[in-house]
Amino acid sequence: MELLITVCFLVLFCTISYFYKRFSQMRSHSCYMLAYECFKATDDRKLDTESCVKIVLRNKNLGLDQYRFLLQTMVNSGLGEETYGPRNVLAGREETPTLMEAHEEMDEIMFGTLDNLFSKTDVSPSDIDILVVDVSLFSPSPSLTARIVNRYRMRDNIKSFSLSGMGCSASMVAIDLVQNLFKSYKNAFAVVVSSETIGPHWYCGKENSMMLSNCLFRSGGCSVLLTNKPCLKHKALMKLKHSVRTNIGSNDEAYGCCIQIEDQQGYNGFLLTRNLTKAAAKAFTMNLKVLVPKILPIRELIRFAVISICKTNNKTAKPSLNLKTGIQHFCIHPGGRAVIDGLGKSLGLNEYDMEPARMALHRFGNTSAGGLWYVLGYMEAKKRLKKDDKILMISLGAGFMCNNCVWEVMKDLGNGNVWEHCMDRYPIPRKNTINPFADKYSWINDERLNFVRMDLSNIILS
Amino acid sequence: MPPASPDFSSSVKLKYVKLGYQYVVDHFLTLLLVPVMVGILIEVVRLGPEEIVNLWNSLHFDLIQILCSSFFIIFIATVYFMSKPRCIYLVDYACYKPPVTCRVPFATFMEHSRLILSNNPKSVEFQMRILERSGLGEETCLPPAIHYIPPKPTMEGARGEAEVVIFSAMDSLFKKTGLKPKDIDILIVNCSLFSPTPSLSAMVINKYKLRSNIKSFNLSGMGCSAGLISIDLARDLLQVHPNSNAVVVSTEIITPNYYQGKERAMLLPNCLFRMGGAAILLSNRRSERLRAKYRLVHVVRTHKGADDKAYRCVFEEEDKEGKVGISLSKDLMAIAGEALKSNITTIGPLVLPGSEQLLFLLTLIGRKIFNPKWKPYIPDFKLAFEHFCIHAGGRAVIDELQKNLQLSAEHVEASRMTLHRFGNTSSSSLWYEMSYLEAKGRMKKGDRIWQIAFGSGFKCNSAVWKCNRTIKTPTDGPWEDCIHRYPVHIPEVVKL
Repeated sequence: MELLITVCFLVLFCTISYFYKRFSQMRSHSCYMLAYECFKATDDRKLDTESCVKIVLRNKNLGLDQYRFLLQTMVNSGLGEETYGPRNVLAGREETPTLMEAHEEMDEIMFGTLDNLFSKTDVSPSDIDILVVDVSLFSPSPSLTARIVNRYRMRDNIKSFSLSGMGCSASMVAIDLVQNLFKSYKNAFAVVVSSETIGPHWYCGKENSMMLSNCLFRSGGCSVLLTNKPCLKHKALMKLKHSVRTNIGSNDEAYGCCIQIEDQQGYNGFLLTRNLTKAAAKAFTMNLKVLVPKILPIRELIRFAVISICKTNNKTAKPSLNLKTGIQHFCIHPGGRAVIDGLGKSLGLNEYDMEPARMALHRFGNTSAGGLWYVLGYMEAKKRLKKDDKILMISLGAGFMCNNCVWEVMKDLGNGNVWEHCMDRYPIPRKNTINPFADKYSWINDERLNFVRMDLSNIILS
Repeated sequence: MPPASPDFSSSVKLKYVKLGYQYVVDHFLTLLLVPVMVGILIEVVRLGPEEIVNLWNSLHFDLIQILCSSFFIIFIATVYFMSKPRCIYLVDYACYKPPVTCRVPFATFMEHSRLILSNNPKSVEFQMRILERSGLGEETCLPPAIHYIPPKPTMEGARGEAEVVIFSAMDSLFKKTGLKPKDIDILIVNCSLFSPTPSLSAMVINKYKLRSNIKSFNLSGMGCSAGLISIDLARDLLQVHPNSNAVVVSTEIITPNYYQGKERAMLLPNCLFRMGGAAILLSNRRSERLRAKYRLVHVVRTHKGADDKAYRCVFEEEDKEGKVGISLSKDLMAIAGEALKSNITTIGPLVLPGSEQLLFLLTLIGRKIFNPKWKPYIPDFKLAFEHFCIHAGGRAVIDELQKNLQLSAEHVEASRMTLHRFGNTSSSSLWYEMSYLEAKGRMKKGDRIWQIAFGSGFKCNSAVWKCNRTIKTPTDGPWEDCIHRYPVHIPEVVKL
C-alpha cells in the first residue's frame, strides 16, 4: 500500500517537473514584434502612368501588340499614380544597371528604415543578436547583412542570415526563421529586413509574359524588430501565434510559373505564366489545411465537420469555413489585382476586408517581400487594430510557396506610419481606381492601326 | 670557436615538466577524488558487514523527508535532461567530383587567358605569376561555360552548372545513406554568387519532389564560410524539431562570376576558384547514433563586418569598364589573422584542456599586471584536436594559419592537397578535406576535428566535430581514384 502511494507521488513529481519546464520554455519561446518601419521614397521617385508610358516607349524593341498589352496591363493593374520607381529607371538608364546603383537603391531602403526603427524603439544596434535580410533578386558579396553590420557596427557574435531567391513570400520565411531561432536563444533581439531591388531587373525585351513585372513591381521595403524577452511583453505591438510554410515546388507547373530567365535576345527578366493562379490556389489550400485547425475555435471546426458530413449526403455546394470566427483582419499580399480578388473570393471576404490590400497596391504597388507590411500599416493607420485581434498574413511567392502567419495584437494600435500623409484620401472608391489613361490611350486598341506602320512612340509622347 | 651546442638536457627536462603539469591539471578532479575513494573503501572494509547493517537500520527517515528529497532529485533530473541540447549527428556527406572533361590544366588556363586578354599582356603575365604560386594542380575543374573563348556566362549555363553539381552530390548522398527524399525535413542551400528566383533550394525541391511542409532556406552572398553558417542554422533548427533530418548543400557556381576585365586585384579569383559542391545529411534521430560518422560539438561564428577594412577586403564591385568582379585587398591575410584570433577567444575555452586555459589565463594576468612585455601565450590547439580542416582559400591562407596555430605539415596536409586537387571550391572545400582524411584512413573513433572557414564580410566560422566511429578505407568519394598519389610535394613556384 505504502509502495503504491510512494509510486503515485513519484509519478506526480515527474509530471509537475515536466510541465514546469515546458511552461518556462514556452514563455521564452514567444516572438513579439516591437516595431516595424516601412519605407517611403522621396517624391521625386514617384512613377505615375504617364512616366511609366514614357519609360516603356523608350524600349525600341516593342511593337503595336506589345503596346496594347502594356496599356491594358497598366490600366488594370490596380496601381495608382504615386508608386515609387527606382532611380536608374527614372533617369533613363534601365538598360545599363550598375552594381553601385543597386547598392544605392538598397542602402536607401535598408538604412532609411533601420535608422527610423532604432530611433523609434530604445534598442541600440549593438543589442541585436539575430539579423535576417531577405532580398530576392540581389545578393552581392559581401552580403547585405554584412553591409548592415558594417554600417551599424554590430557585435561580432551576431547571427546573420542573408536569404535570397525566395520570392515575394520571403518575409514570412524570415519571420519563421527568427521564431525557430528564438526557441534556442533566450532574451534575444532580432531584426528582419525585407525588400527588393527593382532597378537592375527592369525588363528591356519584348516578351509579353515578362513585361508584367515592369507594370507591377515598385520600390519599397520594411524593417521589423522582434524579441523574445518576456520583460518587453508590455511594449510589444503584436505576438506571433502561428507560422505555417507550404512549398509545392515538387509540382513542375508550380515551380515554373514564376521564374527568372533570359529571353531569346538575352534580356534578363521575370516570367509569369498562366499557371500562377492555379499554383497559388493549390498552395494556399494546402497551407490552410494545416493552419486552420490551429486558429479557429473548436465550435467552428465542429460546425464545419458536421455540415460537411450532412452536405456530402445531399451533394449540394461545398460548405465553406467561416475564417472570421478566428481571424479579424486579413493581410493579403498585394501581388496584383488578380491575386487579391482571387484570395478574397476563396476566403469569402467582403470589400472591407480586402480594402487594406487594395489600397496598399494602389498607393505603393507590388513591393514584393515588403508588401504585407504596407497592408498592416494601412490597417494600423485606419485604427482598425484593437487588442486581442487576430491578423492572418497571407503571402505567396516564387517556388511556389504559400507562407502564412497569424499575429495577435497586444494593444490598440493607431500610429499613422507611412500612410500618415495620405490617409485622408483613402479608401479610394472602386470606380475611382480606374486608371485615367485608359481613356486617353484607348485609341491604341483600334483595329485599323494594324494596317498602318508608324512610330507610335513619337505620337504618344508628343 | 665553435658555437656552444644548445642545452638539450634542459629543454628535455622542461618538456617533461610541461607534460607533468598538463597531466596534473587535466586530471585534477580524478587525482583529488581517488585518495578520498580509497580512504572510504578502507574504512568500509574495516567496519565489517554487521556494523554497516546496524548503521543502516539506525537511520530514521520521515515519509515527508523522503518525499521532499525524492521530489528534489526528480525535479533536478527532469530539468537537466530537458535542458540538454539534442545531439546532432552527421550521418554522411557526399562531395561532387567533376568530370575529367572539365579539367583546366595550367596550359589550358594560360592559353585561354592569352586569347581573352590579348590586349593586356601585363594582366596575362600577372595571372601566370599567380598560377605558378597558387598551389593548384593540373586536375582542377571549371564549368563548361567557362571553357568557351570568351566565356559564356548565361543564366541558363549557370542553372545548368548548378543542376549538375547539386544533383550529383544529392544523388550520391541518397545512395550512401539510403535516405528517401520524402524524409527530408529541413533543406538549406548556400551558394554565394548565384541566386536565381526561384531559389536553388526550390530547384532541389522540384527535382526530388520533396514534401510541401519542408523548411527550406536559401543563403546567398555569405562567402566561403557560408557552409558553416548553414551547419549552424541546421543545428539550431534541429534543436527545435525533434526526430528530423536536415540536408545542407554547399556549393559555388562559377559560371556567372568569371571576371572578364583586366583589373589585377579582380583577376585573382579567376585563378583560384574552381567547380565543386557537397551535400551533407545531419540528423537528431537516436536511430542514427550508431551509423553516423560524426557528432557536432560546437559551431562558433565571428563577424568582423563592423570594421571598415575587414568589410572591404573581399568586395564585389565594378571596375572602370563596368565589368563586375571580386576584388581582394592586400590586407586580407592580416584581417584573416585578426578574425581568427577573435574566433579562437570564443572557441578556446570550449575545447582546450584545463592546463592550456590556465596557462593562457596566467600569462594574460601576468601581462596585464606585472609586465606587458611578456609574450602572449598561444594555446596549443594540437592538444584539443587530432585533425584540422582549414578552408583551402589559397596557399597564403593555409600558410598563415599554419604559422598562427603552430601546426605541423601533416596537420595542414588535407587543406594543401585539396587546394592542389580541387582548387578553391569555396564553401564545400572543408568537405573535400574531411574526405581526404577519411580516404587516408586517419579518422579514428573519438578523434576531434576542427573546421575553420573564412569568408567575405569578413567572417571567421569554426565547427568542431567528434568522430563517432572509425572510418574504414577504401572509402568512396572524390579521392577514390587518386588518393594513392597523395600527398604530393607542391613546389613554391611551378615554372610555366
